Amino acid sequence: MPRNVRRRHWGHTVGTVLVLLWTLPPFLYLVLLSVKPERLMVERSVLLFWPTFERYRDIVVTDLGLPIWNSLITSGVGAVGALLLAGLAAVTFSFLDFRWKAALFLVILLPRMFPPVTTLIPIQLMLKDLDLIDTRTGLIVLFIGFQIPLAIWVLRTFFDEIPRELAESAAIDGASLWSIVRHIILPLSRTGLLAAFILAFIFNWNEFLFPLIVTSFNAKTGAVAIMSFAGGYKKLQWGSLAVLGVVMTMPVIIFVVAFRATLIRGFTAGALKG
Amino acid sequence: MGWALLGGGRTTFVLLAAPAILYVLAWRIGPALYTLWLSLHQYNLVYDAQPQWVLFKNYTLLFQDAGLWDALRRSIAFALIATGVELIVGMAAAAFFDSKPPGRNFLLGLFLLPMIMAPVVVGTVWSALFDQTVGPVPYLLELLHGPRIAWLATPLSAFFGLVAADVWEWSPLLALLLFAAMQAIPREQYEAARVDGATSLQLFWRLTLPQVAGMTAVAAGLRLMDAFLELDKVFVMTGGGPGTATQFASFFIYKQAFQGYELGYASAVITCLLALLAVAYGAYLRQPRGSVRG
Repeated sequence: MPRNVRRRHWGHTVGTVLVLLWTLPPFLYLVLLSVKPERLMVERSVLLFWPTFERYRDIVVTDLGLPIWNSLITSGVGAVGALLLAGLAAVTFSFLDFRWKAALFLVILLPRMFPPVTTLIPIQLMLKDLDLIDTRTGLIVLFIGFQIPLAIWVLRTFFDEIPRELAESAAIDGASLWSIVRHIILPLSRTGLLAAFILAFIFNWNEFLFPLIVTSFNAKTGAVAIMSFAGGYKKLQWGSLAVLGVVMTMPVIIFVVAFRATLIRGFTAGALKG
Repeated sequence: MGWALLGGGRTTFVLLAAPAILYVLAWRIGPALYTLWLSLHQYNLVYDAQPQWVLFKNYTLLFQDAGLWDALRRSIAFALIATGVELIVGMAAAAFFDSKPPGRNFLLGLFLLPMIMAPVVVGTVWSALFDQTVGPVPYLLELLHGPRIAWLATPLSAFFGLVAADVWEWSPLLALLLFAAMQAIPREQYEAARVDGATSLQLFWRLTLPQVAGMTAVAAGLRLMDAFLELDKVFVMTGGGPGTATQFASFFIYKQAFQGYELGYASAVITCLLALLAVAYGAYLRQPRGSVRG
Protein backbone atom coordinates (compact mmCIF):
# COMPACT_ATOMS: atom_id res chain seq x y z
CA MET A 1 0.00 0.00 0.00
CA PRO A 2 1.51 3.35 -0.98
CA ARG A 3 2.84 5.33 1.95
CA ASN A 4 0.50 8.23 1.30
CA VAL A 5 -2.60 6.08 1.61
CA ARG A 6 -1.32 4.31 4.69
CA ARG A 7 -0.67 7.63 6.34
CA ARG A 8 -4.17 8.76 5.48
CA HIS A 9 -5.73 5.64 6.98
CA TRP A 10 -3.70 6.15 10.10
CA GLY A 11 -4.86 9.76 10.26
CA HIS A 12 -8.47 8.68 9.85
CA THR A 13 -8.20 6.17 12.66
CA VAL A 14 -6.64 8.68 15.02
CA GLY A 15 -9.22 11.29 14.09
CA THR A 16 -12.12 8.90 14.56
CA VAL A 17 -10.84 7.84 17.96
CA LEU A 18 -10.41 11.46 18.99
CA VAL A 19 -13.91 12.37 17.89
CA LEU A 20 -15.35 9.46 19.85
CA LEU A 21 -13.24 10.27 22.89
CA TRP A 22 -14.36 13.88 22.76
CA THR A 23 -18.07 13.30 22.46
CA LEU A 24 -18.93 10.12 24.30
CA PRO A 25 -17.16 9.85 27.67
CA PRO A 26 -18.65 12.95 29.33
CA PHE A 27 -22.17 12.04 28.35
CA LEU A 28 -21.73 8.35 29.04
CA TYR A 29 -20.47 9.21 32.50
CA LEU A 30 -23.77 10.89 33.19
CA VAL A 31 -25.59 7.79 32.00
CA LEU A 32 -23.36 5.73 34.26
CA LEU A 33 -24.18 7.88 37.27
CA SER A 34 -27.87 7.60 36.53
CA VAL A 35 -27.86 3.82 36.98
CA LYS A 36 -25.24 3.56 39.70
CA PRO A 37 -26.59 2.25 43.00
CA GLU A 38 -26.58 4.90 45.68
CA ARG A 39 -24.09 3.20 47.96
CA LEU A 40 -21.53 2.98 45.16
CA MET A 41 -21.97 6.56 44.03
CA VAL A 42 -18.74 7.92 45.43
CA GLU A 43 -16.67 4.84 44.60
CA ARG A 44 -15.23 6.17 41.42
CA SER A 45 -13.05 3.19 40.70
CA VAL A 46 -16.10 0.96 40.53
CA LEU A 47 -17.11 0.95 36.90
CA LEU A 48 -18.65 -2.48 36.64
CA PHE A 49 -21.74 -2.94 38.71
CA TRP A 50 -25.26 -4.14 38.52
CA PRO A 51 -27.23 -1.13 37.24
CA THR A 52 -30.29 0.09 39.05
CA PHE A 53 -33.16 1.39 37.00
CA GLU A 54 -35.35 2.39 39.88
CA ARG A 55 -34.58 6.08 39.38
CA TYR A 56 -35.97 5.85 35.88
CA ARG A 57 -38.98 4.07 37.26
CA ASP A 58 -39.39 6.90 39.73
CA ILE A 59 -39.54 9.38 36.90
CA VAL A 60 -42.50 7.62 35.42
CA VAL A 61 -44.24 6.77 38.67
CA THR A 62 -43.73 9.75 40.95
CA ASP A 63 -43.93 13.52 40.77
CA LEU A 64 -40.40 13.59 39.54
CA GLY A 65 -41.80 13.05 36.07
CA LEU A 66 -44.00 16.15 36.09
CA PRO A 67 -41.30 18.55 34.90
CA ILE A 68 -40.51 16.21 31.99
CA TRP A 69 -44.17 16.05 31.09
CA ASN A 70 -44.39 19.84 31.24
CA SER A 71 -41.39 20.11 28.97
CA LEU A 72 -42.95 17.70 26.50
CA ILE A 73 -46.26 19.51 26.29
CA THR A 74 -44.96 23.05 26.22
CA SER A 75 -42.22 22.27 23.70
CA GLY A 76 -44.53 20.35 21.40
CA VAL A 77 -47.50 22.67 21.45
CA GLY A 78 -45.23 25.69 21.32
CA ALA A 79 -43.51 24.32 18.23
CA VAL A 80 -46.79 23.54 16.49
CA GLY A 81 -48.17 26.97 17.30
CA ALA A 82 -45.05 28.67 16.01
CA LEU A 83 -45.21 26.61 12.82
CA LEU A 84 -48.81 27.57 12.16
CA LEU A 85 -48.22 31.29 12.47
CA ALA A 86 -44.82 31.18 10.84
CA GLY A 87 -46.03 29.04 7.96
CA LEU A 88 -48.68 31.55 6.97
CA ALA A 89 -46.22 34.40 7.21
CA ALA A 90 -43.59 32.47 5.28
CA VAL A 91 -46.03 32.02 2.40
CA THR A 92 -46.30 35.78 2.19
CA PHE A 93 -42.58 36.37 2.53
CA SER A 94 -41.74 33.80 -0.06
CA PHE A 95 -44.35 34.42 -2.73
CA LEU A 96 -45.17 38.06 -2.42
CA ASP A 97 -42.98 40.97 -3.36
CA PHE A 98 -43.82 44.18 -1.62
CA ARG A 99 -41.94 47.30 -0.68
CA TRP A 100 -42.04 46.81 3.04
CA LYS A 101 -40.82 43.25 2.97
CA ALA A 102 -37.28 44.24 3.93
CA ALA A 103 -38.47 46.23 6.92
CA LEU A 104 -40.84 43.56 8.14
CA PHE A 105 -38.24 40.90 7.71
CA LEU A 106 -35.98 42.90 9.95
CA VAL A 107 -38.72 42.80 12.54
CA ILE A 108 -38.63 39.06 12.34
CA LEU A 109 -34.85 38.85 12.42
CA LEU A 110 -34.29 41.59 14.98
CA PRO A 111 -35.56 39.71 18.03
CA ARG A 112 -33.06 36.96 17.40
CA MET A 113 -30.24 39.43 17.89
CA PHE A 114 -31.28 40.47 21.39
CA PRO A 115 -29.56 38.69 24.24
CA PRO A 116 -32.07 36.53 26.10
CA VAL A 117 -32.00 38.68 29.24
CA THR A 118 -33.40 41.67 27.38
CA THR A 119 -37.05 40.77 27.66
CA LEU A 120 -36.88 38.82 30.91
CA ILE A 121 -38.28 41.54 33.15
CA PRO A 122 -41.13 42.78 30.94
CA ILE A 123 -42.18 39.23 30.10
CA GLN A 124 -42.42 38.34 33.75
CA LEU A 125 -44.49 41.45 34.41
CA MET A 126 -46.72 40.73 31.41
CA LEU A 127 -47.36 37.15 32.43
CA LYS A 128 -48.08 38.27 35.96
CA ASP A 129 -50.71 40.67 34.68
CA LEU A 130 -52.26 37.97 32.52
CA ASP A 131 -52.28 35.54 35.43
CA LEU A 132 -50.18 33.11 33.45
CA ILE A 133 -47.32 32.70 35.89
CA ASP A 134 -46.52 29.08 36.63
CA THR A 135 -48.87 27.76 33.96
CA ARG A 136 -48.13 25.64 30.95
CA THR A 137 -50.22 28.00 28.84
CA GLY A 138 -47.97 30.88 29.79
CA LEU A 139 -44.91 28.92 28.73
CA ILE A 140 -46.53 27.90 25.47
CA VAL A 141 -47.38 31.51 24.71
CA LEU A 142 -43.74 32.41 25.31
CA PHE A 143 -42.34 29.52 23.32
CA ILE A 144 -44.44 30.35 20.30
CA GLY A 145 -43.03 33.85 20.38
CA PHE A 146 -39.50 32.51 20.66
CA GLN A 147 -39.68 30.21 17.69
CA ILE A 148 -41.68 32.21 15.16
CA PRO A 149 -38.64 34.09 13.82
CA LEU A 150 -36.57 30.96 13.25
CA ALA A 151 -39.54 29.08 11.84
CA ILE A 152 -40.30 31.82 9.34
CA TRP A 153 -36.67 31.87 8.28
CA VAL A 154 -36.46 28.12 7.77
CA LEU A 155 -39.86 27.75 6.12
CA ARG A 156 -39.26 30.64 3.78
CA THR A 157 -36.05 29.01 2.61
CA PHE A 158 -37.94 25.83 1.82
CA PHE A 159 -40.89 27.63 0.22
CA ASP A 160 -38.46 29.48 -2.03
CA GLU A 161 -37.55 26.18 -3.60
CA ILE A 162 -41.08 25.49 -4.79
CA PRO A 163 -41.20 26.30 -8.51
CA ARG A 164 -43.15 29.47 -9.02
CA GLU A 165 -44.69 28.18 -12.25
CA LEU A 166 -46.62 25.50 -10.39
CA ALA A 167 -48.32 28.05 -8.22
CA GLU A 168 -48.74 30.53 -11.03
CA SER A 169 -50.41 28.11 -13.41
CA ALA A 170 -52.74 26.94 -10.69
CA ALA A 171 -53.68 30.54 -10.01
CA ILE A 172 -54.25 31.20 -13.68
CA ASP A 173 -56.51 28.18 -13.75
CA GLY A 174 -58.56 29.88 -11.07
CA ALA A 175 -57.42 28.06 -7.91
CA SER A 176 -57.91 29.92 -4.64
CA LEU A 177 -54.97 30.75 -2.44
CA TRP A 178 -56.13 28.27 0.14
CA SER A 179 -56.20 25.39 -2.31
CA ILE A 180 -52.79 26.37 -3.66
CA VAL A 181 -51.44 26.19 -0.15
CA ARG A 182 -53.12 22.87 0.53
CA HIS A 183 -52.30 21.12 -2.71
CA ILE A 184 -49.03 22.61 -3.83
CA ILE A 185 -47.14 24.33 -1.04
CA LEU A 186 -47.80 21.96 1.85
CA PRO A 187 -47.00 18.68 0.09
CA LEU A 188 -43.82 20.05 -1.46
CA SER A 189 -42.47 21.46 1.79
CA ARG A 190 -42.91 18.48 4.08
CA THR A 191 -39.19 18.30 4.76
CA GLY A 192 -39.09 21.95 5.65
CA LEU A 193 -42.06 21.68 7.97
CA LEU A 194 -40.51 18.72 9.70
CA ALA A 195 -37.13 20.43 10.04
CA ALA A 196 -38.75 23.57 11.40
CA PHE A 197 -40.81 21.58 13.88
CA ILE A 198 -37.82 19.64 15.17
CA LEU A 199 -35.69 22.74 15.53
CA ALA A 200 -38.47 24.61 17.30
CA PHE A 201 -39.12 21.65 19.58
CA ILE A 202 -35.47 21.25 20.51
CA PHE A 203 -34.97 24.94 21.21
CA ASN A 204 -38.09 25.00 23.37
CA TRP A 205 -37.03 21.83 25.13
CA ASN A 206 -33.61 23.24 25.98
CA GLU A 207 -34.96 26.57 27.17
CA PHE A 208 -33.92 27.37 30.72
CA LEU A 209 -33.89 31.01 31.75
CA PHE A 210 -37.49 31.95 31.01
CA PRO A 211 -39.04 28.83 32.52
CA LEU A 212 -36.88 29.44 35.57
CA ILE A 213 -38.25 32.92 36.07
CA VAL A 214 -41.80 32.28 35.07
CA THR A 215 -42.68 28.95 36.71
CA SER A 216 -42.38 27.52 40.19
CA PHE A 217 -44.28 24.36 41.13
CA ASN A 218 -46.89 23.44 38.60
CA ALA A 219 -45.36 24.26 35.28
CA LYS A 220 -41.72 23.68 36.07
CA THR A 221 -39.89 22.23 33.09
CA GLY A 222 -37.19 19.59 33.04
CA ALA A 223 -34.43 22.15 32.66
CA VAL A 224 -35.62 24.02 35.74
CA ALA A 225 -35.94 20.77 37.68
CA ILE A 226 -32.29 20.08 36.99
CA MET A 227 -31.56 23.46 38.45
CA SER A 228 -33.36 22.68 41.68
CA PHE A 229 -31.08 19.68 42.20
CA ALA A 230 -28.01 21.63 41.20
CA GLY A 231 -27.13 25.26 41.73
CA GLY A 232 -23.76 26.33 43.05
CA TYR A 233 -21.98 23.51 44.77
CA LYS A 234 -24.79 22.09 46.85
CA LYS A 235 -25.19 19.00 44.78
CA LEU A 236 -25.83 15.82 46.67
CA GLN A 237 -28.41 13.83 44.76
CA TRP A 238 -26.23 12.91 41.84
CA GLY A 239 -28.36 9.96 40.87
CA SER A 240 -31.51 11.97 40.37
CA LEU A 241 -29.60 14.77 38.73
CA ALA A 242 -28.04 12.33 36.30
CA VAL A 243 -31.36 10.75 35.42
CA LEU A 244 -32.92 14.13 34.71
CA GLY A 245 -29.96 15.01 32.55
CA VAL A 246 -30.20 11.80 30.56
CA VAL A 247 -33.97 12.05 30.12
CA MET A 248 -33.65 15.66 29.02
CA THR A 249 -31.18 14.60 26.36
CA MET A 250 -33.10 11.60 25.02
CA PRO A 251 -35.68 13.35 22.81
CA VAL A 252 -33.00 15.53 21.33
CA ILE A 253 -30.85 12.54 20.46
CA ILE A 254 -33.79 10.63 19.02
CA PHE A 255 -34.89 13.50 16.85
CA VAL A 256 -31.45 14.19 15.55
CA VAL A 257 -30.58 10.57 14.83
CA ALA A 258 -33.88 9.93 13.09
CA PHE A 259 -33.90 13.10 11.05
CA ARG A 260 -30.23 13.84 10.49
CA ALA A 261 -30.41 14.80 6.85
CA THR A 262 -33.55 16.92 7.25
CA LEU A 263 -32.05 18.76 10.14
CA ILE A 264 -28.73 19.59 8.57
CA ARG A 265 -30.61 21.20 5.69
CA GLY A 266 -32.82 23.14 8.04
CA PHE A 267 -30.04 24.04 10.40
CA THR A 268 -27.66 25.40 7.81
CA ALA A 269 -30.52 27.23 6.11
CA GLY A 270 -32.02 28.77 9.19
CA ALA A 271 -29.99 28.79 12.31
CA LEU A 272 -27.03 30.85 11.17
CA LYS A 273 -27.77 34.34 12.40
CA GLY A 274 -25.64 36.00 9.77
CA MET B 1 -46.52 40.22 -11.32
CA GLY B 2 -48.80 39.27 -14.19
CA TRP B 3 -50.61 36.41 -12.59
CA ALA B 4 -53.37 37.32 -10.15
CA LEU B 5 -51.26 37.14 -6.99
CA LEU B 6 -51.79 33.42 -6.57
CA GLY B 7 -55.54 33.47 -6.21
CA GLY B 8 -55.63 35.89 -3.34
CA GLY B 9 -55.55 39.65 -3.16
CA ARG B 10 -52.67 41.62 -1.74
CA THR B 11 -54.68 42.11 1.44
CA THR B 12 -55.02 38.37 1.86
CA PHE B 13 -51.28 38.02 1.90
CA VAL B 14 -50.86 40.76 4.42
CA LEU B 15 -53.49 39.12 6.58
CA LEU B 16 -51.60 35.85 6.38
CA ALA B 17 -48.45 37.40 7.72
CA ALA B 18 -50.16 39.66 10.23
CA PRO B 19 -50.69 37.19 13.09
CA ALA B 20 -47.03 36.20 13.17
CA ILE B 21 -45.86 39.79 12.92
CA LEU B 22 -48.23 41.02 15.60
CA TYR B 23 -47.21 38.15 17.83
CA VAL B 24 -43.53 39.03 17.49
CA LEU B 25 -44.28 42.70 18.08
CA ALA B 26 -46.24 41.89 21.21
CA TRP B 27 -43.94 39.32 22.74
CA ARG B 28 -40.45 40.16 21.50
CA ILE B 29 -40.13 43.75 20.24
CA GLY B 30 -42.61 45.30 22.65
CA PRO B 31 -40.97 43.89 25.77
CA ALA B 32 -37.54 44.97 24.51
CA LEU B 33 -38.84 48.52 24.10
CA TYR B 34 -40.30 48.30 27.60
CA THR B 35 -36.88 47.42 28.93
CA LEU B 36 -35.46 50.50 27.29
CA TRP B 37 -38.23 52.58 28.82
CA LEU B 38 -37.80 51.02 32.24
CA SER B 39 -34.09 51.83 32.22
CA LEU B 40 -35.05 55.47 32.66
CA HIS B 41 -36.95 54.72 35.85
CA GLN B 42 -36.22 53.73 39.37
CA TYR B 43 -38.23 50.60 40.08
CA ASN B 44 -37.49 48.29 42.92
CA LEU B 45 -40.16 45.62 42.90
CA VAL B 46 -40.18 45.41 46.68
CA TYR B 47 -39.91 49.05 47.68
CA ASP B 48 -41.42 51.03 44.83
CA ALA B 49 -45.15 50.91 44.17
CA GLN B 50 -44.52 51.92 40.58
CA PRO B 51 -41.65 53.00 38.35
CA GLN B 52 -40.38 56.51 39.02
CA TRP B 53 -38.91 58.66 36.31
CA VAL B 54 -35.24 59.35 36.99
CA LEU B 55 -33.93 59.94 33.48
CA PHE B 56 -30.30 58.91 33.32
CA LYS B 57 -29.62 58.31 36.99
CA ASN B 58 -29.34 54.54 36.48
CA TYR B 59 -26.75 55.12 33.80
CA THR B 60 -24.59 57.33 36.00
CA LEU B 61 -24.82 54.72 38.74
CA LEU B 62 -23.81 51.97 36.40
CA PHE B 63 -20.67 53.68 35.27
CA GLN B 64 -19.52 53.70 38.87
CA ASP B 65 -20.55 50.14 39.57
CA ALA B 66 -17.34 48.20 40.05
CA GLY B 67 -19.26 44.95 40.25
CA LEU B 68 -20.62 45.52 36.76
CA TRP B 69 -17.26 46.35 35.23
CA ASP B 70 -15.75 43.25 36.82
CA ALA B 71 -18.57 41.17 35.40
CA LEU B 72 -18.02 42.63 31.94
CA ARG B 73 -14.31 41.95 32.14
CA ARG B 74 -14.91 38.36 33.18
CA SER B 75 -17.38 37.89 30.32
CA ILE B 76 -14.93 39.26 27.78
CA ALA B 77 -12.11 37.08 29.08
CA PHE B 78 -14.36 34.04 29.03
CA ALA B 79 -15.60 34.78 25.53
CA LEU B 80 -12.12 35.32 24.13
CA ILE B 81 -10.53 32.27 25.71
CA ALA B 82 -13.40 29.90 25.02
CA THR B 83 -13.82 31.04 21.41
CA GLY B 84 -10.09 30.83 20.79
CA VAL B 85 -9.89 27.23 21.92
CA GLU B 86 -13.10 26.35 20.10
CA LEU B 87 -11.70 27.73 16.86
CA ILE B 88 -8.62 25.56 17.13
CA VAL B 89 -10.53 22.41 18.03
CA GLY B 90 -13.22 23.19 15.46
CA MET B 91 -10.67 23.78 12.71
CA ALA B 92 -8.91 20.51 13.45
CA ALA B 93 -12.19 18.61 13.53
CA ALA B 94 -13.38 20.27 10.33
CA ALA B 95 -10.16 19.33 8.56
CA PHE B 96 -10.64 15.77 9.76
CA PHE B 97 -14.20 15.58 8.47
CA ASP B 98 -13.16 17.22 5.23
CA SER B 99 -10.66 14.44 4.64
CA LYS B 100 -13.58 12.07 4.12
CA PRO B 101 -13.01 9.49 6.85
CA PRO B 102 -15.14 6.35 6.67
CA GLY B 103 -18.50 6.78 8.37
CA ARG B 104 -18.12 10.52 8.17
CA ASN B 105 -21.80 11.41 8.26
CA PHE B 106 -22.38 9.26 11.30
CA LEU B 107 -19.32 10.64 13.06
CA LEU B 108 -20.26 14.21 12.27
CA GLY B 109 -23.76 13.65 13.60
CA LEU B 110 -22.36 12.14 16.76
CA PHE B 111 -19.89 14.98 17.16
CA LEU B 112 -22.74 17.46 17.17
CA LEU B 113 -24.28 15.93 20.29
CA PRO B 114 -22.81 18.37 22.83
CA MET B 115 -24.13 21.33 20.92
CA ILE B 116 -27.71 20.11 20.74
CA MET B 117 -27.89 19.12 24.38
CA ALA B 118 -29.49 21.64 26.68
CA PRO B 119 -26.80 23.90 28.15
CA VAL B 120 -28.11 23.05 31.61
CA VAL B 121 -27.43 19.39 30.91
CA VAL B 122 -23.94 20.22 29.69
CA GLY B 123 -23.48 22.09 32.95
CA THR B 124 -24.72 19.04 34.82
CA VAL B 125 -22.34 16.72 32.98
CA TRP B 126 -19.34 18.89 33.71
CA SER B 127 -20.36 19.50 37.30
CA ALA B 128 -20.34 15.75 37.70
CA LEU B 129 -16.97 15.43 36.01
CA PHE B 130 -15.39 17.99 38.31
CA ASP B 131 -17.16 17.05 41.50
CA GLN B 132 -15.05 16.12 44.52
CA THR B 133 -17.17 13.14 45.44
CA VAL B 134 -18.33 11.61 42.18
CA GLY B 135 -16.10 13.22 39.59
CA PRO B 136 -13.45 11.37 37.61
CA VAL B 137 -11.29 14.46 37.18
CA PRO B 138 -10.38 14.90 40.85
CA TYR B 139 -10.14 11.12 41.15
CA LEU B 140 -7.67 10.77 38.29
CA LEU B 141 -5.65 13.64 39.66
CA GLU B 142 -5.59 11.90 43.02
CA LEU B 143 -4.41 8.65 41.43
CA LEU B 144 -1.59 10.54 39.74
CA HIS B 145 -0.70 12.11 43.08
CA GLY B 146 -1.59 15.51 41.69
CA PRO B 147 -2.69 18.53 43.73
CA ARG B 148 -6.06 18.48 45.43
CA ILE B 149 -8.08 21.14 43.67
CA ALA B 150 -11.62 22.03 44.61
CA TRP B 151 -12.40 22.55 40.96
CA LEU B 152 -15.61 24.45 41.03
CA ALA B 153 -15.00 26.01 44.41
CA THR B 154 -11.75 27.80 43.59
CA PRO B 155 -12.00 30.98 41.53
CA LEU B 156 -9.47 30.25 38.80
CA SER B 157 -10.30 26.58 38.34
CA ALA B 158 -14.02 27.35 38.37
CA PHE B 159 -13.48 29.82 35.55
CA PHE B 160 -11.55 27.29 33.51
CA GLY B 161 -14.01 24.58 34.38
CA LEU B 162 -16.64 26.72 32.68
CA VAL B 163 -14.31 27.26 29.75
CA ALA B 164 -13.84 23.51 29.45
CA ALA B 165 -17.57 22.90 29.45
CA ASP B 166 -18.11 25.62 26.87
CA VAL B 167 -15.36 24.29 24.64
CA TRP B 168 -16.82 20.80 24.81
CA GLU B 169 -20.26 22.11 23.99
CA TRP B 170 -19.54 24.52 21.18
CA SER B 171 -16.44 23.34 19.33
CA PRO B 172 -18.74 21.08 17.28
CA LEU B 173 -20.67 24.11 16.03
CA LEU B 174 -17.52 25.76 14.81
CA ALA B 175 -16.42 22.46 13.33
CA LEU B 176 -19.71 22.24 11.43
CA LEU B 177 -19.46 25.76 10.06
CA LEU B 178 -15.80 25.43 9.10
CA PHE B 179 -16.49 22.03 7.56
CA ALA B 180 -19.21 23.57 5.41
CA ALA B 181 -16.74 26.21 4.27
CA MET B 182 -14.08 23.63 3.51
CA GLN B 183 -16.50 21.57 1.47
CA ALA B 184 -16.95 24.53 -0.82
CA ILE B 185 -13.32 24.49 -1.83
CA PRO B 186 -12.91 22.81 -5.22
CA ARG B 187 -11.04 19.53 -4.99
CA GLU B 188 -9.04 20.28 -8.13
CA GLN B 189 -6.98 22.80 -6.22
CA TYR B 190 -5.79 20.10 -3.87
CA GLU B 191 -5.12 17.66 -6.67
CA ALA B 192 -3.13 20.20 -8.63
CA ALA B 193 -1.09 21.16 -5.59
CA ARG B 194 -0.42 17.54 -4.76
CA VAL B 195 0.83 16.93 -8.25
CA ASP B 196 3.26 19.78 -7.65
CA GLY B 197 4.47 17.93 -4.59
CA ALA B 198 2.76 19.79 -1.75
CA THR B 199 2.55 18.12 1.65
CA SER B 200 -0.68 17.86 3.61
CA LEU B 201 0.44 20.56 5.98
CA GLN B 202 1.21 22.93 3.13
CA LEU B 203 -2.14 22.15 1.57
CA PHE B 204 -3.89 23.08 4.79
CA TRP B 205 -1.86 26.17 5.51
CA ARG B 206 -1.77 27.62 1.99
CA LEU B 207 -5.00 26.39 0.41
CA THR B 208 -7.58 25.56 3.07
CA LEU B 209 -6.95 28.17 5.71
CA PRO B 210 -7.09 31.28 3.50
CA GLN B 211 -10.28 30.11 1.88
CA VAL B 212 -12.09 29.52 5.14
CA ALA B 213 -10.94 32.81 6.61
CA GLY B 214 -14.31 34.39 5.90
CA MET B 215 -16.29 31.69 7.63
CA THR B 216 -13.78 31.68 10.48
CA ALA B 217 -14.50 35.32 11.13
CA VAL B 218 -18.26 34.78 10.96
CA ALA B 219 -18.13 31.78 13.26
CA ALA B 220 -15.80 33.48 15.71
CA GLY B 221 -18.03 36.53 15.84
CA LEU B 222 -21.14 34.44 16.51
CA ARG B 223 -19.45 32.45 19.18
CA LEU B 224 -17.86 35.47 20.88
CA MET B 225 -21.21 37.17 21.29
CA ASP B 226 -22.93 34.07 22.60
CA ALA B 227 -20.12 33.21 25.01
CA PHE B 228 -20.15 36.76 26.32
CA LEU B 229 -23.80 36.26 27.27
CA GLU B 230 -23.32 32.79 28.78
CA LEU B 231 -25.73 32.07 31.61
CA ASP B 232 -27.17 28.55 31.81
CA LYS B 233 -23.94 26.72 32.56
CA VAL B 234 -22.91 29.31 35.13
CA PHE B 235 -26.19 28.72 36.94
CA VAL B 236 -25.72 25.00 37.14
CA MET B 237 -21.99 24.72 37.64
CA THR B 238 -20.99 27.59 39.89
CA GLY B 239 -23.93 29.88 40.62
CA GLY B 240 -21.64 32.79 39.86
CA GLY B 241 -19.22 31.70 42.52
CA PRO B 242 -17.13 31.14 44.42
CA GLY B 243 -18.02 34.63 45.58
CA THR B 244 -18.29 36.47 42.30
CA ALA B 245 -15.44 34.74 40.49
CA THR B 246 -17.60 33.45 37.68
CA GLN B 247 -20.27 36.11 37.71
CA PHE B 248 -20.49 36.98 34.06
CA ALA B 249 -22.52 39.82 32.59
CA SER B 250 -25.81 37.95 32.24
CA PHE B 251 -25.60 36.53 35.73
CA PHE B 252 -24.91 39.98 37.13
CA ILE B 253 -28.08 41.22 35.44
CA TYR B 254 -30.03 38.25 36.76
CA LYS B 255 -28.92 39.00 40.31
CA GLN B 256 -29.80 42.67 40.03
CA ALA B 257 -33.25 41.94 38.70
CA PHE B 258 -34.32 38.81 40.52
CA GLN B 259 -32.39 38.90 43.76
CA GLY B 260 -31.96 42.62 44.21
CA TYR B 261 -35.32 43.45 42.59
CA GLU B 262 -33.81 46.57 41.04
CA LEU B 263 -35.70 46.34 37.76
CA GLY B 264 -34.91 49.86 36.58
CA TYR B 265 -31.21 49.51 37.17
CA ALA B 266 -31.07 46.06 35.61
CA SER B 267 -32.86 47.44 32.57
CA ALA B 268 -30.22 50.15 32.26
CA VAL B 269 -27.47 47.54 32.36
CA ILE B 270 -29.28 45.53 29.71
CA THR B 271 -29.64 48.62 27.53
CA CYS B 272 -25.93 49.32 27.75
CA LEU B 273 -25.22 45.72 26.87
CA LEU B 274 -27.54 46.00 23.87
CA ALA B 275 -25.73 49.14 22.74
CA LEU B 276 -22.37 47.38 23.06
CA LEU B 277 -23.64 44.41 21.09
CA ALA B 278 -25.17 46.64 18.44
CA VAL B 279 -21.84 48.37 17.95
CA ALA B 280 -20.02 45.04 17.81
CA TYR B 281 -22.59 43.61 15.42
CA GLY B 282 -22.35 46.69 13.24
CA ALA B 283 -18.57 46.46 13.04
CA TYR B 284 -18.87 42.74 12.35
CA LEU B 285 -21.26 43.28 9.44
CA ARG B 286 -19.11 45.96 7.90
CA GLN B 287 -16.20 43.63 7.26
CA PRO B 288 -14.40 44.17 3.95
CA ARG B 289 -14.74 41.90 0.95
CA GLY B 290 -18.28 40.91 1.91
CA SER B 291 -16.66 37.94 3.56
CA VAL B 292 -19.41 37.89 6.18
CA ARG B 293 -21.85 36.18 3.85
CA GLY B 294 -19.22 33.48 3.89
